[in-house]
Amino acid sequence: MKALLVERSLPRFAAARLVSSVGGSGTSAGIGPLRLTDVEAPALPGPGWQRVRPVLAGICGSDLATLDGRSSRYFEDIVSFPFVPGHEVVGVVEDAATGPAGAPVPGTLAPGTRVVVEPVLGCIPRGIEPPCEACADGRVGGCERVAFGHLAPGLQIGFCADTGGGWSQAGLVAHAVQLHPVPEALSDDDAVMIEPTACAVHAALAAQVEPGDMVAVLGGGTVGLTTTAALRQLATPGALLVGARYGHQRDLAGELGADLAVSPEQLTRAVRRRSRSFESSGHLSGGADIVVDCVGSADSLSQCLAMVRPRGRVVVVGMPAKTTLDLASLWHREVSMVGAYAYGSERTGTARRRTFAIAMEVVAAARLGRLVSARYPLERFEEAVAHAGSAGRRGAVKIVFEMHHRSPKGSAS
Amino acid sequence: MSPRPGFVLEVDRSTPSTLFWHGEGLRLERLPVGSRVLYAPEPLDPLEDPVTAIREALLHPLGDAEPLPALLRAGMKLTIAFDDVSLPLPPMRRPDARQLVIEQVLDLAAEAGVDDVVLICALALHRRLTEAELRHCVGDRIYDAFEPQGLLQQHDAEDPGNLIHLGLTDHGEDVEINKRAATSDLLVYVNVNLVAMDGGHKSVATGLASYRSLRHHHNARTMQQSKSFMDQHKSELHTSNWRMGRLIADSGVKVFQIETTLNTDTFPPQMRFLERREWEWSARDRAGYIATSATLARTPDRLARQVLHSVRSPYRLTSVQAGEVEAVHAQTTENVYRQQLVAVEGQTDILTLGLPYICPYNVNSIMNPILVACLGLGYFFNMYKGRPLVRQGGVVIMSHPTPWAFHPGHHPSYIDFFEQVLAETTDPLEVGKYEEAYATDPWYVHLYRTGHAYHGVHPFYMWYWCAHALEHLGAVIIVGGDRAAVRRLGFTPASTMADALELASDVVGRDPSLTHLHSPPLIMADVS
Amino acid sequence: MRARTRRFPWASPYWPDGVERQAPERNLGVDYDSDWSRRYPARLVRAVLLDNVTRPLAHVVASPEVRGAEMLELVTAPVIFVANHASHVDTGLLLSVLPRRFRHRAVVAAAADYFFDRRWKAHLWALGLGAIPIERHKVNRRSADTAAGLLEEGWNLIIFPEGGRSPDGWFQEFRGGAAYLARRTGRPVVPVHMEGTRRILGKDRGLLRRQPTRITFGTPLSPVEGEDARRFGARIETTIATMADEGRSDWWAARRRAAAGTTPSPRGPDAAAWRRAWALGPDPRDADTVDEGRWAVSDL
Repeated sequence: MKALLVERSLPRFAAARLVSSVGGSGTSAGIGPLRLTDVEAPALPGPGWQRVRPVLAGICGSDLATLDGRSSRYFEDIVSFPFVPGHEVVGVVEDAATGPAGAPVPGTLAPGTRVVVEPVLGCIPRGIEPPCEACADGRVGGCERVAFGHLAPGLQIGFCADTGGGWSQAGLVAHAVQLHPVPEALSDDDAVMIEPTACAVHAALAAQVEPGDMVAVLGGGTVGLTTTAALRQLATPGALLVGARYGHQRDLAGELGADLAVSPEQLTRAVRRRSRSFESSGHLSGGADIVVDCVGSADSLSQCLAMVRPRGRVVVVGMPAKTTLDLASLWHREVSMVGAYAYGSERTGTARRRTFAIAMEVVAAARLGRLVSARYPLERFEEAVAHAGSAGRRGAVKIVFEMHHRSPKGSAS
Repeated sequence: MSPRPGFVLEVDRSTPSTLFWHGEGLRLERLPVGSRVLYAPEPLDPLEDPVTAIREALLHPLGDAEPLPALLRAGMKLTIAFDDVSLPLPPMRRPDARQLVIEQVLDLAAEAGVDDVVLICALALHRRLTEAELRHCVGDRIYDAFEPQGLLQQHDAEDPGNLIHLGLTDHGEDVEINKRAATSDLLVYVNVNLVAMDGGHKSVATGLASYRSLRHHHNARTMQQSKSFMDQHKSELHTSNWRMGRLIADSGVKVFQIETTLNTDTFPPQMRFLERREWEWSARDRAGYIATSATLARTPDRLARQVLHSVRSPYRLTSVQAGEVEAVHAQTTENVYRQQLVAVEGQTDILTLGLPYICPYNVNSIMNPILVACLGLGYFFNMYKGRPLVRQGGVVIMSHPTPWAFHPGHHPSYIDFFEQVLAETTDPLEVGKYEEAYATDPWYVHLYRTGHAYHGVHPFYMWYWCAHALEHLGAVIIVGGDRAAVRRLGFTPASTMADALELASDVVGRDPSLTHLHSPPLIMADVS
Repeated sequence: MRARTRRFPWASPYWPDGVERQAPERNLGVDYDSDWSRRYPARLVRAVLLDNVTRPLAHVVASPEVRGAEMLELVTAPVIFVANHASHVDTGLLLSVLPRRFRHRAVVAAAADYFFDRRWKAHLWALGLGAIPIERHKVNRRSADTAAGLLEEGWNLIIFPEGGRSPDGWFQEFRGGAAYLARRTGRPVVPVHMEGTRRILGKDRGLLRRQPTRITFGTPLSPVEGEDARRFGARIETTIATMADEGRSDWWAARRRAAAGTTPSPRGPDAAAWRRAWALGPDPRDADTVDEGRWAVSDL
C-alpha cells in the first residue's frame, strides 16, 4: 500500500532547507526527504492497540517545517526515522482491540467506527507504568517519556517509526485511549479539523482571558482562525482583534467572531486606538491584555511584545524555531510569555474534560469544516505540500490528503 | 506691458494639449473639442517699494483705528501674531512678507520703548513649525532676537493654562483663544492673504482658537452651508467667524490687523512654462517642460518631493493694508479678486483639475490621499463666486497619483482616520461620530503639543472641507491614482483621462460639457 | 569576542588595600604650570601648527580684513593686545593675523575655570595656543604675577578684558586686569577690535559658519601720568568702542562723535533682551540673502 515516508537523510534535509528558503515553504517536497513508497501496515505494538484506516489527513505547519528542513533541533531526539507523517487524522477503525489472550477488550471501539486520532504518544500508549505526572494528570501533551517505553521515540503518531501516520493508505495503529468517536452530525471535513482545533482550545484556555479583556490574535492561517473561533466560543473577551495578511483570512476571522480583522501592519495601530495608549520606541504604553501569536516568526513575536500591555500575557501558539528577539520590553514591562502546545485535558471550573471533547463542540458550533480548502490524493503530494506552503497567498486555509472513498456517514462537504 | 486678465478658452482642433499637474509630476492631456479652459489673470504688477508701502499703511490705517505709533508706548504688553507655514504656497523667497511687516512693527516698538513683546505663530490646530520654517517666515534677525528667550511662540491649543474663554456668541458658539494674545494691550496680526477665505476676523478667531471654539464652525453642517467658503456673502464659515471676531473685539481685545496680498508669480523662471498659456510656450519653455516632466517621472518619490518642496516662489506684494479688521479685509478681498477672478458664463457637466504636489497641509511633507481629496473637492471645487463651476450632479475628475502614503510624524491621526474611519463610511456627516475620540486621544494631543503633528481632529476637518462638494456632485474620479487608496476615499479610479471621461459619461450622459481649471496659478471662477 | 583586559605592567596598577594613598596632586586651573609650553620644542610645534594649520584655516573660515596693521610698526615687543571677545575663534584668528614677530612670541590669557579644568584640556591649549590660566571671577595674585613675569621676559600677552564671550552681541564691562598689568610693567597696550566673529561661532550658537570678519588695530595706548588702572581701563574700552563705531560708519564720523562724546554705547541699550538684539541692527551682509535656492538662473 502506498504511503509517504520521511527518511533520515542529511543531504536531503539540507537540500530541502536551501530550496524552501529560496522558493518558499513547501516547494522542496520533490527534493526533500519525503517520498511516496509502498509500505506494510504497521504491526500492533501490544494489547489495547487498534488499527485505523485514514480517510482524511491534514497537512500542518509543523509538518511543513519538517519537510522544509526548518524544524528546531529540539525535536531531534523525539522523532524516529523513517516515519509516516500525518497527525491530523479522521479514519475508520479496522479491527477490534484484543487483550493478551486475543479476547476483545471491553470499552474499546468497534470496527467500522469513525474516529479522530489524538496523536500524542504518552505513557499509556507506551506502556509505561506508573505514568509520568503529566499523563497521570491527563495532560498528555506534557508527557516526559515520549522517547521511552516499548515504542520507538516519537512525540506523536506521525513522528514515530512504529505507529505509521495519517498520510498513508496502509493505515496506522493507535492505542484505544487515543481514539475518539466522531458524532454523526460532523462531516469528515469537520472531523479532520478537530485535532488543530484542540490545539486552539488548549491555547485559548491557557490564555486565561478575563471577561472584558482586549485580546489580539496575530496570524490568519489555520492556527489563527481556529484560535479565534475557540476564543470566541470559550471566553468572553471585551474586544477580539485579529491581524491576518490575506483578505479571505480576514473575512473568515470576522465570521468566526473577530470584532476587527485587519492586516498585520495595521493591527498595532488598531490596538493603540482602542486602548488610547501612547507609543514610545515602537511599544505601546497600554495595549492588549492578551496577545496570541499564531505565526511563530521573530517578526510576529516582536510585534506581539509591542502590542501587549505592561504585565500582560503573550501566548505563543504558532511553533517557533531558533529566534532572536529583543527582550528589553518584556523585562521592563513585566510581560509574561507562555507557550501553548497540543492538548490533553482542561480544567473548566471544577470539571476536568478532555480537550478533544471541547474541540468537537467548538468545531460544531463554529462550523470549522469550512476551513478545509482542498483535498489531494497521496500521488500528488508535491502539489499538496506546495499548496499548503502557500495556502494564504492562494486563498486557502487547510489542505488535506484524501485516502479512500468516503464512508457513507461523512459524505457532506 | 500690463498684465492680461483671465479668460476662457474654447478648445478646438488646433488647440495644443493642456498642462495638468499630477502630484509630483506633469502631464499634457488632450481635452475634447468644445471644452472650456479657464486661464487665470497674469500676475499683477507688484509694489515698487514694499518697505515704504508697509510703513505708509502702518501710519495711515483704514477704518476706525489710530496709526500704529500712537498705539505703542513704553511698559505695554504687545503681542504680534502671524500666519503659519501653510501660506503662501509654494513658500515665497526671502524676505517673506511677514518678515518685512514684522520688522517694521518692531522698529516702531523699539522706538516707543516697548519691552514686553511676544510673537505667536497662529497655527490653530495645525502642526508646529520647525526652526528652519520659522526662520523662513520671520527672518533670522527676528528669530535670533526672540527665540532664545522663548518669546517666539507657537500657539498651543491644548494648553489649558494659555487659553481664555471670552464667552458665547448669540448663536451659542464658544469663543476661546490664546490667553497671552487676548490679555495684551495690543494684538497686531500679520496676515498673508492668499485666497479669499483667509484673513479678516478669521485670523484671530480661528488662528488663535482652541478645539472647543473651532468645532462650532469646522463641521460638516457648516461646510455644507458654505457655498462657497471663498465667497463671504454665502459662507456660513465666514459668518460664524465674524460673529466670533466681533465678540473678541467687544471683549476688549484690541486688534490691529495688517493684511498683505501677493501677485501670482508662482514659479521661478525655469518653471514659468507652468503658468503660461500653452500656445505661447517658447522653445525654451517646451524644452523645460520635457526635461522637467521626464526627470520627475523617473525620480523616486522621496527625492522628487525634496526637490519640489525646495522651490521658492518669486511672489511680490501687490498691496498692504492695516488698521481695523473689517475695513482692512474689505480692501484685501477686492485685491484678491482683482488678481484671481475670471468671469465664466454657465455651469458645466464635468470639471477637470490637475492637483499639484502641495496643499496648505503638507508643506515639506507627503500629500496623503485625504489631503488629495481636500485639495480637490475642498479648495479647488470651492474656488468660485456665484454658482459652482460644475452643476449639481456633475462630475469632478482630478489628476493625482494619490499614493497610499502618509507622513507618520506630521499626519499620525490621518493614518488611523484612513484605516479605521473611511473603511466604515465616507459620508462627512457620519464620520463625525468618531470625532470626539480622535480629538481627545491623549497620544495625538501629545504629538501635537510636543512634536510636529497636526491635531488628532484635523483629518476630520479635511473631510468636512469636502462636504459641500460631496453633497453637490454625482461622482468623483481620480486619474492615475492608486486604486486601493482611491476606492477607500469612496471615489472611482481611472487609468487615463479617456477612461475617466468614459466613466463620467455614465453619470452625466453622453456628450457632456467639460471645463478645466488651468492651475497654477491660483484662479477663481466668477460664474454667472 | 571577549574584551581582553590589560593587566599590570601593561596597565597602571591598583594600590594594595593596606597602603595609604594620598590624594593625587592636581595642578589644574590657576595652579597649572605652563612653563613647558614656552620651551623650544613646544614653541616649535606651536609655531608649525599656527603657521600651517591655524592660519590657512582662519583665512578660509573667516576671510579676515585687517585694518591698522601699520600701527604695529610703532611698537616694540612685548605688548599687551586687548580685544573684545565674541567667539571661541577670536584667539586663533587674532594670532593668525599678527605679524610673525608677535605671533610666535605670544601668550594668551585664558579663563582658568573653563580652559584649564581638565588635564588634557590644559595641555592642549597650552601647547596649541600658548595659553596661560587667568582667574576671571576674582582677583588672583598668582595669575597676575605670572602674566607680569612673562611680559618682563619678553612675551606678548593677548587678553580679553570682558572676561568671557558676549552673550548678545554687545560689549560687557571691561575688567581691570589689562590696565593693571600695563601700569605694573610699563608695556604699551594695543587695542584690537574684532568684528564678525560672533556670526561664525557665537556663544550658545552651535554650528560653525563661514563669515567674513574685520580686525582693526588701533593706536597703541600707555597710561598717562596720574592715571590709575581704572581710568586707563575705561579709556581702553572707549577706544575700542570708537573703533567699533568706525567700522559701522566711517573714521571721520566716528572721530567727531567721539569728540562730542556721542559714541553709541558699546554695551547696548538698557532695555529688554529683544530690544538689545534689535538695536544691533540689520547685518549689512544679509541684504544679499535673497532666497534663490537651487533654481537660481539669471532672469533672461
